[in-house]
Amino acid sequence: MGLLNKEKKASPPSSTSPCANLRAAYHNCFNRWYSEKFVKGQWDKEDCVSEWQKYKACLSEHLEDKHLSRFLEADEVPVESTIRVDPATAA
Amino acid sequence: MVKAYKQEYTYKHPWEIVSSASWRKFADPENKRILSHIREVDTLNHKLDPSCGKLYTTRAITIHAPGPWFIRKIVGQDICHCVESTVVDGQSRSMQLTTRNISLQKFIEVEEKIKYDPHPDNPSGWTICRQETSIQIRPLSALASMAEKVEQRCAERFVQNSAKGREVMERICKYLEAESSGITL
Repeated sequence: MGLLNKEKKASPPSSTSPCANLRAAYHNCFNRWYSEKFVKGQWDKEDCVSEWQKYKACLSEHLEDKHLSRFLEADEVPVESTIRVDPATAA
Repeated sequence: MVKAYKQEYTYKHPWEIVSSASWRKFADPENKRILSHIREVDTLNHKLDPSCGKLYTTRAITIHAPGPWFIRKIVGQDICHCVESTVVDGQSRSMQLTTRNISLQKFIEVEEKIKYDPHPDNPSGWTICRQETSIQIRPLSALASMAEKVEQRCAERFVQNSAKGREVMERICKYLEAESSGITL
């Protein structure tokens, strides 16, 4: 405890801190997918579906800011025209 | 009063590496020390269009901006939420990020656009980054006199932070390159 104190005290927890582990799992998976597949033209499907679903479930439970949770529920992304693509609902 | 800033920067790394680094910029724990104003980054929404290789993502970025005491007094908080929308076009190799604040809009509006494209002089090896930031303080009568000072401060902060951002990007690019040359070549 004593040794790490200096780094630890910087940030008090935010509302989405309970999702930190699920967030890290999803972001790691996404980053790997992006640099190993997407940029090489393998964009036929997205990986990380189960990581995303777990993380998103946690967010919808903990995200306090109303402005932000609006984006969670929105099925559209607020840029350009969006084309409807059903996210692969993995079994 | 709107202040707008344009910056251009060339990364001597290919677009694939630079755009990968951009995703990792805020999340990488090693960078939290440098980009200490970034508190949390959450992905709220994402969508892939497999027919044309476009990826749309919305992320929430929580920024800790303590600022001078009178700002805290006025706005009553020192946490600011921003929403970042990203479009990556895999086919044309282009990444565009637009970030806006959603809290404190009564007082200030900041919009930052960053675009990463292959550099025309060396499309397979370099990436050009074009960045545009506009900052607008709402001219409330009581605040009007100090608004300009605040605006200036915010602008300075942004320029400082984008320099820090580049430093972080360069570092991530280097390790991604080291990683990919070790694995695939």
